[in-house]
Formats: sequence, structure tokens, C-alpha cells
Amino acid sequence: MNRFLAILALLLLMLTSCQKSDYDFDDTPQGNLDALWQLIDERYCFLSYKEEVLGMSWADIRGKYSGKLNADMSRVQLFEVLCQMLSELKDGHVNLSTSLDMGRNWSWKEDYPENLNTELRQQYLGTDYHIGSGLRYTILPDNIAYVVYESFSQSIGEGNLSDMIAYLQLCNGMILDIRGNGGGDLSNVEILSRRFTNEKVLVGYTCYKTGKGHDDFSEPRAEYVEPYDGIRWQKPVVLLTNRSCYSAANTFVRNMKEMPLVTIMGDQTGGGSGLPFTSELPIGWSVRFSASPSFDAKMQQIEFGIEPDVSASLDEAKAADGIDTMIEQARELLKK
Amino acid sequence: MKQLHIFIIYMSALLPASLWAEDVTLEPVQNRRPTERSLLVGAGKTNQLDTYLSPMEYTGVQVSVLVQRERMTHLADHHISFQSTFHGAFTSTDNPAGTAKYLGGRLAYDAGWHYHYSPLQNLDLKGGALVGADAGFLYNDRNGNNPAQGRFSLDLSLSAGASYAFRIKKLPLRAAYQADLPMMGIMFCPEFGESYYEISQRGVGHDIIFAHPGNAMNLRQLLTLDFCLRRVTLRVGYLCDIRQQNARSLKNHDVSHSFMFGFVRYFQLMKRKPHPQSLSIERGE
Repeated sequence: MNRFLAILALLLLMLTSCQKSDYDFDDTPQGNLDALWQLIDERYCFLSYKEEVLGMSWADIRGKYSGKLNADMSRVQLFEVLCQMLSELKDGHVNLSTSLDMGRNWSWKEDYPENLNTELRQQYLGTDYHIGSGLRYTILPDNIAYVVYESFSQSIGEGNLSDMIAYLQLCNGMILDIRGNGGGDLSNVEILSRRFTNEKVLVGYTCYKTGKGHDDFSEPRAEYVEPYDGIRWQKPVVLLTNRSCYSAANTFVRNMKEMPLVTIMGDQTGGGSGLPFTSELPIGWSVRFSASPSFDAKMQQIEFGIEPDVSASLDEAKAADGIDTMIEQARELLKK
Repeated sequence: MKQLHIFIIYMSALLPASLWAEDVTLEPVQNRRPTERSLLVGAGKTNQLDTYLSPMEYTGVQVSVLVQRERMTHLADHHISFQSTFHGAFTSTDNPAGTAKYLGGRLAYDAGWHYHYSPLQNLDLKGGALVGADAGFLYNDRNGNNPAQGRFSLDLSLSAGASYAFRIKKLPLRAAYQADLPMMGIMFCPEFGESYYEISQRGVGHDIIFAHPGNAMNLRQLLTLDFCLRRVTLRVGYLCDIRQQNARSLKNHDVSHSFMFGFVRYFQLMKRKPHPQSLSIERGE
């Protein structure tokens, strides 16, 4: 009995002290930088890929930016240093959110022509266009369906999609314009993709980190799009893209690239193939980072975007005359 | 000795006398299967960590309710009791900088048997095993694609306790302590960077893993003091609940210390002796 009580008491003593986090950093400039560096080092899913493509070393980054710190620096100064450090990743899904500002690197779209004039797009839609959830659509004079979807954050109802396809079914083809679509909900990607295939299609792969090592990943899981059990689009489609197509919109382009009747036209997409997670720093600032990568059907990275099947750009001179050269090029393609 | 033993366990000295009706003939005390029910509510401090959501430890408050029922059985010559415990808790905690909040909830149910032993007068020791289920969640109010973490476990616990009845002046009191220590089971634990989307696509099955003290060090301790106020038995106590996981490169803990307060009720099975007059009616006399 005495031995039993002694063992029990020992166990209780051991268990009463709770485990600590692996991130034991102080709320100091150096502590916050170290916490951010370690967070990215262990949880960011593209480190090996970015080191290879961008030619940077995350191990060296810590020393480089630690040298810019001092104990008396202000919050604003610390924010700037940490944002500069995160900008090395060139990832639109990496953000530092504070009450001061949201740190970001939007070079994926800001370094390129926008290839979108929203006023011009509105002229093509006119005023009597239809609205179905987040979709706006009309029939152009040459019997081409013109559909605009500006954000995957805007929900799409199955009923709206069925009604839209029924309304447009006599058209010769469809221009699906997702220029400027910065992403949103992946479930909307699936809902919309299913309307453009009659068969189950392999569209890509995805995996996630299983440990803290840069290359600790799960086995890739194949992603398929299965046809919607109802009315589906059966005619040619031109999907208009630009550099602002990011995240979920990038995933949608990846899916549509595997559909037989779809042509991707425009500029390369912005990318953003990592599903973002959120964490935080000792100072209380929120950090968003890419946690799970996805790939195309050939298991290739799409983090920096997807190239179109047909390049097209917006001619600013003709735009001044009310002509969207990308829409016009799409119309010509569909007439052939 | 046996009667004394049962007497100590269930503090029959504190029982309100009115629990027995006048026209009832009591069976011997060991056959009455005395039952104790308690309802405690409490509040206290809690410390939470879940590295799936954040590397920071959050601190705040917990409110909880604990419902226990313990009944002596006929097993092992009336030395074995059956106990069931329901524990519900709600937590609200903040990160150290005060810029984010966790909201958490948890429901747990344990049931099992204890063997009782009385080495000294007024002292009762018990040891046994419990099986339990635990489910809950922890929600972070500003995370994007990883806003919450689910909790689920089934486990087999060792349980040990002691109670001691004594008096201060004329006031009868009983102090009791019980510790429950899960030893094995299964628990839900996602992989390091696995999203909800992946969990839904791949199925939750591969995220149910074997749990043992090496990866799930949990402990619940309850220290109580019972006293009688007029005809009601009141209970005050301290509940220390420690839930920890360290698996798949993820850590979480939920450590709470609560002050508990409530009341206790005692019951006993009893058989009514048929009234002589009713017997006469049945016989048609």
C-alpha cells in the first residue's frame, strides 16, 4: 500500500506541472523576430521551393534582419522590419496584421499590367444584366454569353447556376471573366467547376505538413472534379484571367485548365497555391502564412501562377474607345 | 465493521432524519445500496495552449458544473461502489497581449467502480478504474482557416481517493479527495498542418490515435469538504483539471483550477412493509 501511494504521489507531482509551448519568446523586438522566424521555419509550406526559386536562404534571413533591431525601437519600426523579412517570401498569403497596418507583399499583381478596366467591363455588361448570387451575366450581340465573377468569397447557389446555364444555353459560347478575382472560398471553386465537365477529371494534388522540417509533407492526395448531377455547360468557354487572379481563383483556373472545352486566355494568374493558416507573435500581432500547398494535375507548383493557353492583354488606347481587347479576342476565338 | 464502513462513506451522520418515512421498515444497511448525488458549480482560472491555433498560452476564466453519483453495490461483499461523473466546462481566455480570445467548451462523462478499504475508523480509501468520454472545442476569434480545434477522447483511467469523517465541536464534516488518471485510450489529433478541408476529404479516421500518458497526460483532482447547514448537506471544493496532449508535433493543454460549491443528497433503497390493513383488503376480509 505504501509503495502504491508513493507512486501515485510521484505521478501527481509530475503531472501537475503542465507542458510549455515550443515558442518561448519574450515580447521584445528580438523575441518577436525570433518567434516569427521560427513560425515560418516550421510551418510555412513553400520554404524549400522559395529558397530554390528565389535564391534566398531562410537561415540567413534571421541574422540579416536581427541586425536591423534595437531594444528601443518603436512598434512601427518593428512592424516595418518584420514585414520586410516576410516580403522575402513573395507570397500574397503571408501577412502581418496589426492595429497599425496589414503587412503584405502584393508584387504578384502590382509588378504587372492590370489588364482590367472595370468601367469598360461594366459597359459590356450593360444595365440589364442578370445577377445570380455572385455572378453577373448577359448575352452579347453576337450571341456569346458573358459572365463576370469578381470574388470567390461571394457564394454561388446551385439554383442560380442552373438558372444561369438554362438562360444562356442557346449561346454559341461563354466568356467567363474572372479578372481581378482575388480568391475566397474553395467550396465555390468546386461548385462552379462541376458545371463544366461531363466526366470525373483529375485537376491536381494537395498535401500538408506533417512535421516541422521544411520537407515534412503528407502523401499528395489527388483532387478530382466530379460533374454536377444536373444541367451543365456543353459549349466552348474562354476563361479570362489576369495577374490579380489569386488563391481560390488560381485554383479555379487550375481546374478549368483540365476541362476539354475551356481555353484560358489573358495574362498569367497571380498564384497563391498555399492554403493559409493563422498564428501570432508575443506582441499580439496576427500572422497569416501558407500552410498546405496544392499542385496542378502534373504535380507542378502553381504558387507563382498559371500561364494562359492564349496570351491576351488590354490595349489601353482601344480601351479609351470603349473596346476591351481581351473580351474581343475571346469573342473572335469563340466564333471560330 | 462493514456497517461502520458504509456509514463513514456516506456520512449517514449528516443525513436529514426526514429521509425515512415512518411506515417503512428498513432493510439492513448493507442491503440499502446507499447513493450519494452531488451537484457542484464552480469558477476559476484556466490556462490554455493549442499550437494548432497559436503558440501563445491564453489565460482566463472557466465556469464549470460537476454532477457526481456514487452508489454502493453488492459486489465484493459491499466493498465496491459505482460512480458516474458528468463534467461540463466553458472557458474564455485571452492571449498575453490581449488581442485575441479563445472560447472553449467541454463535456466529459466518466463511469466506473471503486474498491473501498477502511484502515482506520472514519477513514475510507478507495481505488478503481473509470471509462470515460470527453468532447469539446476551442475557438480562436481571429484565426482564418484554422479557427478552432476539436477535442475528442475515450479513455480508461485509474482512480483513487480517500475520505475522512470528523467533527469540529458539534459540526460533523467530511473531507474527501479523488484523483482520476487516464492511462490509455484513443483521441482525436490532426496532423501538424492538416486543414479542416483535408480532414473532411481524407476522413477523420487517420486522426484518431492511441492515447497514453506519454502523449496525453491528463489528471483530474477533486478535493471537497462536506458540512451540514440546517437540513442540507453542502459541499465546497477545489477542482484541478489538467488535460494535455503532445502528439504529431502539436501541443495543447488546458489547465484549470476552480472553486466549487454545491449540495449533496443521499438516498437509500428501501422496501415498504405491506400495511396490515391493505393485506386484509387483498384477502377479501
